[in-house]
Amino acid sequence: MSLKKFSELFGDLDSINSTNNKIEVLKRYFLSNEPIDNSWAIYLLTGKSNKRFISGRNLKNLFSQIYEYPQWLIDTCYLKVGDSAEVITLLLKNKTTSRNKKLSNISLNQLLSKIIPELSKLNDEEKNLQIKNIWETLPEDNHLIFNKILTGTFRVGVSIGLITKSISKLINIDEEIISHRLMGNFKPSIDSYEFLINKNINLEELNSKPYPFLLANNFEDKIFKNSINDFQFEWKYDGIRMQLIKRSGNVSLWTRGQELVNESFPELVDKISYIKDDFVLDGELLVWNFKEQIAFDFSFLQKRINRKSPTRSIQIKYPIIFIAYDLLEINGRDIREILLENRRIELEKYYSEWQNKTKNNITDIFRICDLIYPKDWSDALNFKEKSRENNTEGLILKNKRSPYTSGRKKGIWWKYKVDPMQLDAVLIYAKGGSGRRAGLYTDYSFALWKDQKLIKFASAYSGLTNIEIKELDKWIRKNTIEKFGPVRSLKPEMVFEISFEKIQISKRHKSGIAVRFPRITKWRKDKKINDADSLKNAFELMKKIS
Amino acid sequence: MRTNQEYLIKYKDGNLYCELADIWIDPIKPVKRALITHAHFDHFTFGCEEYLSTNETAILLKERVGDNIKIKTFDYGEEFKINGINISFHPSGHILGSSQIRFIFADEKWLISGDFKLQKDETCKQYEIVKTDYLISECTFGLPIFKWDETNKIANDISKWITHSPEKTSLLFCYSLGKAQRLINEISQTNFKGNIYSHGSIYKMSNCYKELGIDIKDTIKIENKKKIDELKGSLLLLPTSLSKGSFLKNFKNIQTAFASGWMSIRALRKRSGYDKGFAISDHADWDGILEVVKKSEAKNVFFHHGDSEALSKYLVEKESINVLLFGK
Repeated sequence: MSLKKFSELFGDLDSINSTNNKIEVLKRYFLSNEPIDNSWAIYLLTGKSNKRFISGRNLKNLFSQIYEYPQWLIDTCYLKVGDSAEVITLLLKNKTTSRNKKLSNISLNQLLSKIIPELSKLNDEEKNLQIKNIWETLPEDNHLIFNKILTGTFRVGVSIGLITKSISKLINIDEEIISHRLMGNFKPSIDSYEFLINKNINLEELNSKPYPFLLANNFEDKIFKNSINDFQFEWKYDGIRMQLIKRSGNVSLWTRGQELVNESFPELVDKISYIKDDFVLDGELLVWNFKEQIAFDFSFLQKRINRKSPTRSIQIKYPIIFIAYDLLEINGRDIREILLENRRIELEKYYSEWQNKTKNNITDIFRICDLIYPKDWSDALNFKEKSRENNTEGLILKNKRSPYTSGRKKGIWWKYKVDPMQLDAVLIYAKGGSGRRAGLYTDYSFALWKDQKLIKFASAYSGLTNIEIKELDKWIRKNTIEKFGPVRSLKPEMVFEISFEKIQISKRHKSGIAVRFPRITKWRKDKKINDADSLKNAFELMKKIS
Repeated sequence: MRTNQEYLIKYKDGNLYCELADIWIDPIKPVKRALITHAHFDHFTFGCEEYLSTNETAILLKERVGDNIKIKTFDYGEEFKINGINISFHPSGHILGSSQIRFIFADEKWLISGDFKLQKDETCKQYEIVKTDYLISECTFGLPIFKWDETNKIANDISKWITHSPEKTSLLFCYSLGKAQRLINEISQTNFKGNIYSHGSIYKMSNCYKELGIDIKDTIKIENKKKIDELKGSLLLLPTSLSKGSFLKNFKNIQTAFASGWMSIRALRKRSGYDKGFAISDHADWDGILEVVKKSEAKNVFFHHGDSEALSKYLVEKESINVLLFGK
């Protein structure tokens, strides 16, 4: 099967908005292609691979070298397009239209299992020659796919859920089973595809795999109509959501992003392996502040997650803890259908057994989450406001009488996040966006007052509607003071409400403060720049919080 | 080098202006005398005392805005004199009646390209190469990422897009004057044999083309908008103004697309809000602009209508052509 079919699939998926239609297109594709190509297609579409064979920058350099094309011209084009793979695809149209070489008809499998791996073995000169050769013999419609695979920027608005649904419909097997099969390290091969579409469910093969995660919806006001007693309340931790699995003595740690991360957290794997039962737990991995008994910032976790085989000193410096909040399976028995309140009883019962009977102390690395018991809804709000004190994002409400389902089904779990902190700030710089926002000024920097001067305090790029972005873009172009490369300094005139999650002292910033997750929540056209907040306000806010 | 004041044609209040003839080109505010390159609304404003254009442009304009304007018309190539300046219109290939305008004064030739394209378009006269000393060119698509596919390839893509969803009504949005007529004829030559409907504004322009002797394939005028959902498997051509607002919300059984040169960029396609984009334009692509600059043999070039920075730098560095900037 040719790469062309996959290019067409990409084009179709890219231009269809309806989920049902996307599923139909995928089904049709799977039915009409070879298992090995289907396997690769799934691999690419689900983002299982983000492996980059060449950076966007290098792809542009390479084009410039091969065709003696001015680098500055490619860069100017990039500002308009926002994606290296696409810029080169568009520029190639000028280079390959008058070619007379025979076009090749390669398959997705050939490209991914042969051509590209061989490419990485070549030296630079050979590599250039080979890529040029591929460009000039590949049909034009396939250039984008090829360039995107090269640069590892393959994203096309298809979620794992969508692939799951398509395959589920294709073979008439529950989505949960397919979802299960798709989790973890999916290695493209005929076997992996045959396994995926196998109509017989093989329990043994599913042994190390996690269950599909149950996800929380955003809180809605209508929930206040329910009795407070309908819900189990927990703190919403800002860590790595994880299923901790122990089956037949083997421990596996699976993140919600479907990564097996045993190697990053060997001390947890080790301790858990001493526990006698088999189980599947759902919970959160955190770096723990043992002195204050609260979680450290997410930034501490980042020091651990990308590091395989951490040294002893790293383990001590960033001590981790797994906080379990649900028991999904115990000694081979899937208990997800049991209601939450009963699962909780089981979880507490087993945990206390493990605590008492395990040889090594497990409590310094594995706990179960504390529950919160608000008296009424206004009390719940009080708890929510306190969440900043213990470094959590707010509350999670879980329907006590619900089973553990997969996905984001409404009415089972709700996340009730603490309101963000806000300051009104003045827009002072803008930078061109990339990807979907290419050609528009969408990255903004904001300033606060200090002694009649505006001092930059945060950058943000999300929160405006598309219409507002266009309007602001127009304004930016008309009110530029100076251009420095892609950045423009602007006439101070526009005031925006900036929301953020955390504010702390930072010596690295000129303003002396750093905020986390800054985003635009309102365009304050009603405000003049003199109405914007000052750095003093920011420091007061910080004091108030701590 | 001369200053802005000394050029025969200069930039004044955002418009091209020839002081010696006291004549403006496509002004956006009312003036005494206006040369009109073509009948698109962004090149026309009410309230000028006198308009000068080609015969086709005049008829199209009157159809759009009524008879209540005073237009003097000329044939392509016909020279007329104002204050000693010889002026003439030449085909620019953009839409029916569209023109480049040449000024000759004291052995110095100036050419205003107007909106133009080089691609074949059977609904209007082919672009004519006109030699000049000074060229003022549009550069709407002045980057090498813009490279138009053959028109019949795009037409076939559109045909496939419609026939792949026979259970839906396909709504194709485009400019109602020029692009729509070109699309009607091109799509009629593809494998798509279903009905083509057109919105009143497009229908009216197509009739006008026919009266001017251009063979535009027949379409069915959309009379009852409520029935759009029921026109399964058909193609509807609609003006872009209808894609905004609430019009589309009334229909469930539709797919939408936009035909424009900008649709060659994925980010713009995604942002446009249409399901699909077809990159077909009535403006020149990068190669088209370069070809016109070279074939015009102009020693001096100005650009307007677009971002000309990259194009200018390229011409100066690679082609050693003198690119000038208008003092504003």
